[in-house]
Amino acid sequence: MRKTTAMLLAGGVGSRLNVLAKLRAKPAVPFGGIYRIIDFTLSNVMNSRLDHVGILTQYKPFSLMEHIGTGAPWDLVGRKRGAKILPPKTGEKDFDWYQGTADAIAQNLDFIYRDVPENVLVLSGDHIYYMDYRSLINFHEQADADITIAVREVPIETAHHFGIAIADEKNRILAWEEKPKQPKSNLASMGIYVFNTSFLIRALEKRQGPDFGKNIIPDSIQINKVMAYRFKGYWQDVGTLQSLWDANMDILDPDSELQLSRWKCRTNIEEEGMVGDRPPSYIGTSARVKNAIIAPYCTIDGEVYHSILSPGVKVCKGAVVRDSVIMHDCVIEEGAQLDHVITDKEVQIGANCRIGIGDVICPNQQFPDHLASGLTVIGKKCVIPPGTTIGKNCIINPLTSANQLGTHFLACGTTV
Amino acid sequence: MKKILAMILAGGRVDELKALTQNRPKSTVPYGGMYRIIDFPLSNLMHSGIEKVGVLSQYHSASLVRHIGIGSSWDMVGRDRGAMVLPPFKSEKKSDWYRGTADAVYQNIDFIDEFNPDLVLVLSGDHVYHMNYQELIDYHLRKQADVTAVFKETPIQSAHRFGIATIDREDDKTGGRITAYHEKPVNPKSAWASLTIYLFNTDLLKKMLAELIQNSESFEFGHDILPRMVKSYRAYGYKFYGYWAYSRTIQEYWQANMDLLSDHSPIDLKQWNVRTNLDHRNLRDRTPTIIADSAEIHNSVIYTGCVIKGQVSDSVIFPGTIIEEGAKVTQSIIMFDTIIKKNSVIEKSILDTDVIINENCAIGRIDGENDRIDKDDDDEITVIGQATIIPSGSVIGRNRIIERTMKPDQFNHDTIISGKQ
Repeated sequence: MRKTTAMLLAGGVGSRLNVLAKLRAKPAVPFGGIYRIIDFTLSNVMNSRLDHVGILTQYKPFSLMEHIGTGAPWDLVGRKRGAKILPPKTGEKDFDWYQGTADAIAQNLDFIYRDVPENVLVLSGDHIYYMDYRSLINFHEQADADITIAVREVPIETAHHFGIAIADEKNRILAWEEKPKQPKSNLASMGIYVFNTSFLIRALEKRQGPDFGKNIIPDSIQINKVMAYRFKGYWQDVGTLQSLWDANMDILDPDSELQLSRWKCRTNIEEEGMVGDRPPSYIGTSARVKNAIIAPYCTIDGEVYHSILSPGVKVCKGAVVRDSVIMHDCVIEEGAQLDHVITDKEVQIGANCRIGIGDVICPNQQFPDHLASGLTVIGKKCVIPPGTTIGKNCIINPLTSANQLGTHFLACGTTV
Repeated sequence: MKKILAMILAGGRVDELKALTQNRPKSTVPYGGMYRIIDFPLSNLMHSGIEKVGVLSQYHSASLVRHIGIGSSWDMVGRDRGAMVLPPFKSEKKSDWYRGTADAVYQNIDFIDEFNPDLVLVLSGDHVYHMNYQELIDYHLRKQADVTAVFKETPIQSAHRFGIATIDREDDKTGGRITAYHEKPVNPKSAWASLTIYLFNTDLLKKMLAELIQNSESFEFGHDILPRMVKSYRAYGYKFYGYWAYSRTIQEYWQANMDLLSDHSPIDLKQWNVRTNLDHRNLRDRTPTIIADSAEIHNSVIYTGCVIKGQVSDSVIFPGTIIEEGAKVTQSIIMFDTIIKKNSVIEKSILDTDVIINENCAIGRIDGENDRIDKDDDDEITVIGQATIIPSGSVIGRNRIIERTMKPDQFNHDTIISGKQ
């Protein structure tokens, strides 16, 4: 394998994650109890023994910068190793925000020039998967390709969400369709590209638009060698609330391919509020815990079924948490019931609340595209007063106080 | 602000801890689901703002050296900060193992001189407690003491196991002048037991150590230094009222762990903010714990990296423990990366790290006729040493010690059932 620099696009807004991405970039959204989404890509970089990664941030980068730190959790510190955060720079024009994926790389060519790599690997920080990038890069080199795109087969009815490759039997891409209404193939782009560095630099110079998927790739197919690398393992784009919940629940499924320990996934546990300073969990005498992920410093006296508990979560006596993802330092008071709920960090659920209870009557009224499957999502640091009932498909915005909620009953589909 | 150096006596091996200290000093015996006992004094130092520490060690130091690292886990890295393990060494004139606690400090006078502190705080590496040493230092300075030692009231019937001081009523609840001190007295006249925490004025400490090395055959702070100082110097006792666990025996060590298991545990690990070295045993890289549908867990402490499919109650479970379906663990301490296979029963036992208990074993169970234990021994605890592999179907009764790294072919089945290994 020749020298390769990785560029990780971590600026995603993640608007379909709604309240979870209001205060942080999508790659920084917590996942699986102790992780953030970007940990999966960073761990893949580490496990593929790549030495240099540039991380391109833009939207609400603070959580992300704090999380990545020096890159030490992913063994990216050393004489010839490094993880560098690359924020947008003030250019000659007023403020040159990244206009798209290709534009973001073009603005950071300095970082690539410094290492003089033969290949540039472009990654996204939005997906849950395990891949050894070395086999992708080896495939790219053996095919003597200009671009290689990692693709996977998806059900044809979902293909319109993705960039779609039409490839011949030797996996050469003959045509490319970006989010086509009537897809001609089910080979979906994973947002992972390998470029020959010299080709990439030329392509960026004469680019007709800011995106890889919309511009560079379609424009290159005719003249250049663009290959498809077929990936077969677990891969989940956790860009929607439902897919985020699904992927969390896959951790609990012994038959799922999502195997955290086999994937050697690492995170930064020293980060503020994370597990470094936290003692073990205590499971009390009256507790019942079945089919759950338990992070450090949980105190459980109630019942927890088929759920993910992040560090510092407290489930009091008589409380029942079912099919839910509970993020850091939430407190579920006595007698409260949660069913199919995602709570962001530091949420307080008062005694005898009933959250996510009842039938699915309608999608969320304000965001029907984001929430229709019956989940209820509560934003960071919300305080839900005792005795409140909140139905399905509800969204509570971050920092909502007991007073702001103003009612003890929220019907299915409400947003506060 | 006085310049303070802490010296932690961490090298001791205690015979009573048997298999647990076969290849590590008492101070690095795992505790509380993720810690080592020495994390308690180190975290206390960090919270007390004492950032320069020498750790004296001579028994199987590797585990200690690995655990302390550069001291960064306790924020002891910086220009005037540091934690350093000080093993015995050879020098031009003399070379010797540490002959006692006082000798260990004496042999490292150079280390003290280099930092040149006003006060030296001598601690033990093997007690579980939370203390702000600054309060002790304030008291010491206020009393213009030469030495101040810390004491806790103990039941009079166990006082003979400790150094016992008679403390006058000078400051009532806070402390007072020590009027008499006896190491492990046969007939104790007071219930104030030494926690082996000593704060010395550096100059006097050096003088006392030099005199002791000249004139004595025994070199212990408790036995030798403190009684001498009570006579001719200002020796003060500072009274401590918090939780303090002394894990000198298997029973005490087990109890100190069991003390964590309650809604109202006297050990508030979060409030104490105990830190450990997360690189030791790769704590940093472990997944969260997975609790399966078949699991039942009650009144237990558990950290990351475990997979629990069986039943667990009243137990302390360290990272990497795997408890398979049908296995049952009660009143036990299961250390790092130990595997308990299907349908094995573990009662009132301590399983050291990397143990494998194969299927259908019964460990630590009182087993009627097969068991020769006297009634008095009912309470006692079975210990399985590090990296031992117990063959399937084994029955190991209560109060047994299995030494570390025993492999299946080394077991004589009969002896396990009825005798001590």
